[in-house]
Amino acid sequence: MAEVRFIDVDKRYGGVDAVRGVSLDIADGEFMVFVGPSGSGKTTALRMLAGLESISGGQITIGDRVVNDVAPRERDIAMVFQDYALYPQMTVFDNLAFGLRRRKVPKDEIARRVARAAEALDLGRYLRRKPGQLSGGQAQRVALGRALVRDPQVFLMDEPLSNLDAKLRTQTRGEIKRLQQEVGRTTVYVTHDQVEAMTMGDRIAVMNDGVLEQVGTPEELYERPANRFVAGFIGSPAMAFFDADVVAADGGARLRCGAVDVVLPGVGGLPAEVTVGVRPECARPWEEGDGRLVGPVSGVVEYVEALGRETFVGVDAGGARVVVHCEGRAALQPGDAIEFGIAPAGLRFFACDSGLALPTAVEAAR
Amino acid sequence: MTSRTEQTLTYTILGLFSLLALAPIVGIVFTALQNPDNVNAFGSFDGIHLGNFKDAWEQGNFGSYLKSSAIVTVTVVVVAGTLSILSGYAFGLMRFRGSGVLFYVFLLGLMVPMEAMIVPLYYDLRDLSLTDTYWALILPQIATSVAFGTFWMRAFFRSVPRSLVEAARIDGATSWFTLWRVLLPLAKPAVLTMTVLLFMWTWNEFLLALVMVTDEGLRTAPLGLSFFQGRNTSNLTLLAAGSVIVATPVVVVYMFLQRHFIRGMLSGAVKG
Repeated sequence: MAEVRFIDVDKRYGGVDAVRGVSLDIADGEFMVFVGPSGSGKTTALRMLAGLESISGGQITIGDRVVNDVAPRERDIAMVFQDYALYPQMTVFDNLAFGLRRRKVPKDEIARRVARAAEALDLGRYLRRKPGQLSGGQAQRVALGRALVRDPQVFLMDEPLSNLDAKLRTQTRGEIKRLQQEVGRTTVYVTHDQVEAMTMGDRIAVMNDGVLEQVGTPEELYERPANRFVAGFIGSPAMAFFDADVVAADGGARLRCGAVDVVLPGVGGLPAEVTVGVRPECARPWEEGDGRLVGPVSGVVEYVEALGRETFVGVDAGGARVVVHCEGRAALQPGDAIEFGIAPAGLRFFACDSGLALPTAVEAAR
Repeated sequence: MTSRTEQTLTYTILGLFSLLALAPIVGIVFTALQNPDNVNAFGSFDGIHLGNFKDAWEQGNFGSYLKSSAIVTVTVVVVAGTLSILSGYAFGLMRFRGSGVLFYVFLLGLMVPMEAMIVPLYYDLRDLSLTDTYWALILPQIATSVAFGTFWMRAFFRSVPRSLVEAARIDGATSWFTLWRVLLPLAKPAVLTMTVLLFMWTWNEFLLALVMVTDEGLRTAPLGLSFFQGRNTSNLTLLAAGSVIVATPVVVVYMFLQRHFIRGMLSGAVKG
């Protein structure tokens, strides 16, 4: 039993609130990812769970035990640090065995557990080396192994992939996910990279400015963001936003902003002014007769990101900036004119003042 | 990229300053090796006469002086070094109320020169009946050495990645275990540099020994050398031999630890 619960947790440094009123239940065996920009409080929340930071208010529980005043070594947790924090004077074997020795585990048991972790992480050849003789990827695996051998109730990981190159990061991402599923331990993983969060987490907790903005599965966060911040943070390229006037039209609502002037059939119940969120896949080059799109909207190309299989085109439509998704390579240059259409089903609406999500076009149409 | 001209200029300037630094040392060694029966001139070389050292050793009672210096220096370096590691660890890595103010109190020991403390210190130690004992030389120097040592070791512990200490805490290590088994092996260059500096300063301390002890058996080597100079103003060779005897231990310690000393002095200046 290793559920983790944050109950109205606060952290204050002097007069600054680093974490405010965070409440969150993490199920036994769940892979929970804390994601957010720098200074959002995600690492502070993790460090409070680890016992490396005191808690200013609220409660944190691991299993049935309140751990607010429990020393880190007594919380039965293991942590992987961003810089790996390997003991440089010790061999890989000694690094892996360190925590077990401190807990007076018998020598033969230590040897067995280290060998098992080394095998799982392909570290067998490096056991006699010191951290300075390892590559970044190997050091990262040793850090993971040091957590694994302990077999704790909860794994904590603080941006463990941020020092790896892009290729190794992708590879290690899958490896961590596989290991977590194998050992089935509750894991709390902190990252600022939303791609990591989306691909690894069973659920994601999005934090901003010390506040928990939304918790949900990757799909929930992508499809039904609770507010404009979450909508903008999750998804790559990011969702584009513009404020639009809404007027009633024949059998629907008419959206107007700059060169955008489209009628969304069957949509109603929106306020007179809304923030419209458009994901790139919902804006496509205009094709006559494509019934899924409304438009056309005319704009000027601002930039082109050609990724080979697809191209993202930044478009300024008279002040409304939108990213248009094109299949394959698009023969466009900055300054070119473009016509695009919008798929109403993918639009998201947010209140202009609070940023809270309003019913989507599809929901509003019902 | 350094051009050839720049490189030549650099080596010329460095060579010149090295010569300036080495000249007096070579001069005193050459003088100490001169034939004592000839008319002496500082720095001239006329062969190797090691008997000068034997004469200086016997006439100057340097055996006794070196013994006193060794007792005082080793005690001060060991005690002050250990205390400095502990206090540096506390100030560098532990959070406790008043640590900032307390650290500046420690720094006072670095700021106030021995000349300013020596008179009140003499009266204090006399009231405690400690003058004319080794304690009068050891205790004040431990106090001043701990001030520097704390400052030095705190800087080292602050440069250690915090995550290393936190990883040890999560792995089950106590503060004590973290210090001795995780951090101290990494602190070797810093500790050895501190050892060399404390050894040098303690060995060369003159004023404290001059004021606190009158018993010849307690005189340290620099003080003994001073008395020896007073008695042999005309015998330059013997004086030089005495100076070489007194300076040798510091040079030997430095030679043994110089690799670590240089690394310790550079740590923090260059990213490892």
